[in-house]
Amino acid sequence: MKHLRPINQKASKIEATVSRPDHDVRAMQGGSPGPHIPLGCSFVFSPGWEVDSTGGTAGLCQPVERDLFDCYITCFWPAHVPDHYNYAPDWTAKCAAAQQDWRNIDLIFP
Amino acid sequence: MILLPARPQRVALTLLTVSLLPLAVGAQSDPEGIPVTHTAVVQNCVACHTQDSTGRMSRISYSRKTPEGWQNTIRRMVMLQNARLQPDVARDIVRYLADEHGLAPEEARPGMFEVERRMIDWEYEGDEDTQETCKVCHSLGRVILQRRTKDDWTSTIELHRGLYPVVEFQGFRRGGPSDEDDDDPRHPMDKAIAHLARAFPLETDEWRSWSATKRPARLAGMWAVSGSEMGKGPLYGTLTVQRGERDGDVTTALEYRYARDGNTVRRTGRATVYTGFQWRGRSFEGSDEATALREVMFVERDWQSMSGRWFRGDYDEIGLDVSLHRVRSDPVVLGVYPMAARTGQAHTVTVFGANLPQDIGADAIDLGPGVDVRRVTSRSPTAVTAQIQVAADAALGPRDVFIAGSNMERGLTVFDEVHRIAVEPRAGLARVGGIVFPKQLQQFQAVAFHNGPDEDPETDDDLRLGVVDVTWGLEEYTRTFDDNDIDYVGAIDRNGLFTPAADGPNPQRNQNRNNIGDVWVVATYAGDNAPATLRARAHLVVTVPLYLRWEPWKVTPR
Ligand code: HEC
Ligand code: HEC
Repeated sequence: MKHLRPINQKASKIEATVSRPDHDVRAMQGGSPGPHIPLGCSFVFSPGWEVDSTGGTAGLCQPVERDLFDCYITCFWPAHVPDHYNYAPDWTAKCAAAQQDWRNIDLIFP
Repeated sequence: MILLPARPQRVALTLLTVSLLPLAVGAQSDPEGIPVTHTAVVQNCVACHTQDSTGRMSRISYSRKTPEGWQNTIRRMVMLQNARLQPDVARDIVRYLADEHGLAPEEARPGMFEVERRMIDWEYEGDEDTQETCKVCHSLGRVILQRRTKDDWTSTIELHRGLYPVVEFQGFRRGGPSDEDDDDPRHPMDKAIAHLARAFPLETDEWRSWSATKRPARLAGMWAVSGSEMGKGPLYGTLTVQRGERDGDVTTALEYRYARDGNTVRRTGRATVYTGFQWRGRSFEGSDEATALREVMFVERDWQSMSGRWFRGDYDEIGLDVSLHRVRSDPVVLGVYPMAARTGQAHTVTVFGANLPQDIGADAIDLGPGVDVRRVTSRSPTAVTAQIQVAADAALGPRDVFIAGSNMERGLTVFDEVHRIAVEPRAGLARVGGIVFPKQLQQFQAVAFHNGPDEDPETDDDLRLGVVDVTWGLEEYTRTFDDNDIDYVGAIDRNGLFTPAADGPNPQRNQNRNNIGDVWVVATYAGDNAPATLRARAHLVVTVPLYLRWEPWKVTPR
């Protein structure tokens, strides 16, 4: 950033950030040491469920509720959202409760 | 929305493929397969899983897994395949299958993180392609804790394709024809099947030899407990185990004390030990259901020690790491608190253990050169407190601790000053909740370090000095300018516990974003043991809920 002078507000902000002593800017640079997210998160279906491909939340579909119905219908996230094909054909109809929910019955821990 | 009309047809088709499977596999002719001898399994499953003249049942005889793995399968049989079972029969079936179609200790150990529900960053080193193809929806822990014949691995992949057709595009199959240069043109799922069949076969030496010696573990007696809980530090105590009604069942009485705040906890519980070594238990303070902790432990084959994790929280996020050793009448030392003492100063330290002698004096406690034990100020069978003085010129580093003929290696560390602190874990995850879904919390702690003989931070010779009191705060983690995540994501309390904000769209945020974001968690230490104020931080991702959980019990789809 030595040869460029910021001419608008955003550029000043970038400069201020890049020159911060704690090297916070890492978004596109990769290879930085420090924590590795995901810890068991799904970041694979670009963006993932918990984190995007950079390991942060900035690129997620937002708000998640906007995406939810589609996830449910296409069963794109079978480990994250109930799926319409199999387990929860009437999830959105809110009338599934009548049946005993086996997902909630603990078979292992006495 | 537009997608809806097209779907029902597809549903019918996929379910059809799936339900044809057991019949097809019923004709399995290989010599492998575990005969089923349990009446309830035969009675309840034979309608769909044929049994051959040697007692082998289609699908059921061709895989082995943990109790959790069997639970998952049985639940699917009930929820999707219309098997009709009462929960207590299902429990009995899971137990039989976990015992007889189970894993050997060597097979289960590498995947303990999965059943202990640890949120860790874990790489499968066996095969990169399999890792890439299979870890995208669930942890690979679920996969490595199963053993199957090649046919049965293939059926599992077919099951995924039947249940979740989009999985084809998500990675099971290549997008188009294979690359000319690609010397292995198979689809990713076919590579995975080939690898899994080789790496995790039904028949193994480990299982053969464990099956020959396996028996219900006899664990009755007294056990010394040492453990630690994130944010609360070390804890020590005893667990009394009594035989339960059935072989492999036990009841427990537990008492432990947190060394930092002296808080004592008493719990009673019960457990089942599956396959001779897989402890699954539950304990309570009094009869208060809200205090339930689930216990997952690995019992070593000599029945002298066991270790694992006890956990709670809507996402199993709060937990104690524990290790237990059988005690008889000899004194045992479990730990010293504080675990580090500064040179040139007087300290009060407590030695935790079991069967500590009641007439113990200062001369029976040896904390090593340069550490003078002045007098014992209180004693009980499980804790002895003493006044000590550390010489100004005492050598730095850990000391073995001896007390009344029993010892603990590296029980007390001598240091001169705190050089740095670190926040643990270095990366955390929380989920917004509280309105429709529960919150996932994240606990942090700050640990003090001395740089060790090489005077460089973060090297192997650093001396860990234990959990210290710090002040906690949040700072913006720069990903996107002006998203001001810290104004929305939630708050961290004085004990390092982060509680996320509510789920749901936030009209106050740009584009109704949820209260999610990336922040730094910052700890500031201003204690006497460091020449200046010290700071450290960790990365925290606050993200969306899971709308579906496979394992825990409280959260249901809504
Ligand atoms: C009404 C029919 C039906 C009944 C009853 C039934 N199953 Fe199944 N089972 C299926 C179908 C269909 C599949 C294949 C699709 C799947 O895996 O969900 C299957 C698959 C399986 C598999 C292979 C799944 C895997 O990936 O490991 C196992 C093991 C199994 N069943 C065990 C049982 C047991 C044990 C019982 C008795 C408690 C049982 N089933 C009762 C229909 C049934
Ligand atoms: C699209 C998401 C997705 C992908 C990708 C995926 N799984 Fe799964 N898997 C699931 C879900 C959801 C379940 C729970 C199914 C159930 O019980 O209804 C599951 C269950 C399983 C089970 C347990 C089945 C049982 O009854 O014992 C095994 C084993 C498994 N997966 C292996 C694999 C392997 C191997 C791969 C890679 C080839 C893979 N999975 C990739 C979503 C996925």
